[in-house]
Amino acid sequence: MQHDLKRLHGASDVTFSGVSRRKGNKMGLLSILRKLKSTPDQEVRILLLGLDNGGKTTLLKQLASEDISHITPTQGFNIKSVQSQGFKLNVWDIGGQRKIRPYWRNYFENTDVLIYVIDSADRKRFEETGQELAELLDEEKLSGVPVLIFANKQDLLTAAPASEIAEGLNLHTIRDRMWQIQSCSALTGEGIQEGMNWVCKSVNSKKK
Amino acid sequence: MLTGLKDVTVGRLPGKLNGQGFVIQECENCNIYVLDHSATITIDDCVNCRIVLGPVKGSVFFRNCKDIKCVVACQQFRTRDCKKMDVFLCCTTQPIIESSTGMKFGCFQYYYPELAFHFKDAGLSIFNNNWSNIHDFTPVSGENNWSLLPEDSKVLDFVPAPDPESDFKSVRISTESARSIVPLTKGGRRKDSEESCLFVFFAGEYTAANARKLIDEASSKGFVLIQTKEVSMKPEDAKRVFQNSADDLVEWISKGKFI
Repeated sequence: MQHDLKRLHGASDVTFSGVSRRKGNKMGLLSILRKLKSTPDQEVRILLLGLDNGGKTTLLKQLASEDISHITPTQGFNIKSVQSQGFKLNVWDIGGQRKIRPYWRNYFENTDVLIYVIDSADRKRFEETGQELAELLDEEKLSGVPVLIFANKQDLLTAAPASEIAEGLNLHTIRDRMWQIQSCSALTGEGIQEGMNWVCKSVNSKKK
Repeated sequence: MLTGLKDVTVGRLPGKLNGQGFVIQECENCNIYVLDHSATITIDDCVNCRIVLGPVKGSVFFRNCKDIKCVVACQQFRTRDCKKMDVFLCCTTQPIIESSTGMKFGCFQYYYPELAFHFKDAGLSIFNNNWSNIHDFTPVSGENNWSLLPEDSKVLDFVPAPDPESDFKSVRISTESARSIVPLTKGGRRKDSEESCLFVFFAGEYTAANARKLIDEASSKGFVLIQTKEVSMKPEDAKRVFQNSADDLVEWISKGKFI
């Protein structure tokens, strides 16, 4: 299925067509690690947040090339770590139920990039997810941290396009950090590589 | 999408959804039959409805619903802000509830001719059903937000067969436990006896059929099925499960998923 993968960065509007087929582990955690520049603290920390049922764990499993047909709703958190030549990458996937969102702040410290996952087909909860994102961007401990917004579940026919989500979330008003919105399907893998490439770029540019 | 319907019988016939996502919202006093496989289903703001959801590849998510009786098959089962729901469930992972009360669960029991295919299309194993162990994100001390339905509960007393005048008259539905596509398991209910036996069917062309045959014959002789599982196992795990026989069985285990 062909998708128009709209990627918005600031004011420019770039359209990508075509299916990005994942070959082997091209966008896997190890390849992401290798794209990152070595840093003094030798560790890159990625935080995966978003409402429950958004697809965070599916995304994490996809990045780790694991089975995505049998995923349990996350009760606490999941973490994937990869290490290469003394350099470590940690990806934290935190449960998004309303009741446990107060615990998100326990994971803010030392985050290098925030990935916020949105269910593009769940229009009923657009307001709620917009609110949670806005609160995150207001957090002192996340100040200046680059944020990638994954407009997930684009494999569903009813999914809203990234442009509509960007508008609804007022992303263009974000001025205090690097940000990017990326259409994707954690299930099929489409758009994930593009998103993670931006993640690597943003981490590297901050650690100059 | 089904929105704002009242006092009607609605849904989707086999072949009409074909794996797409589905949304149900603001329905009252409806009988809803989604008799096809789907990607994911959200149900919002529904009151006093009887609902059948055919195999869902991803998640089923009920939000702000009240007085619901349903039959559901899915990979993930989620609720938030729901009240008084009776659920005959087949869920391949641990079901979760949040800010919900009066939730009761029983084992999935349903049949219609295309249902077995729909389970396959949705990638759900009929042998992986975690219907009885619910995780509550908002437990209240001294109270139970969820419990199990009485063991002898009949689906038809909760979710009726479709109105013979409706679009669904052509679907030959059965709610008899013996005909159910998903085998009836005792799950977390109290066992009548401490004696139990493990049967293992290794990977092969007729694995599922043979497992099913054993279940049907044993059940008719009065044996009780506690739990089923369809798994892949690594050789290391084999040692733990099969102990002394492990070495002989390694070859069988490597062939694929077994039941």
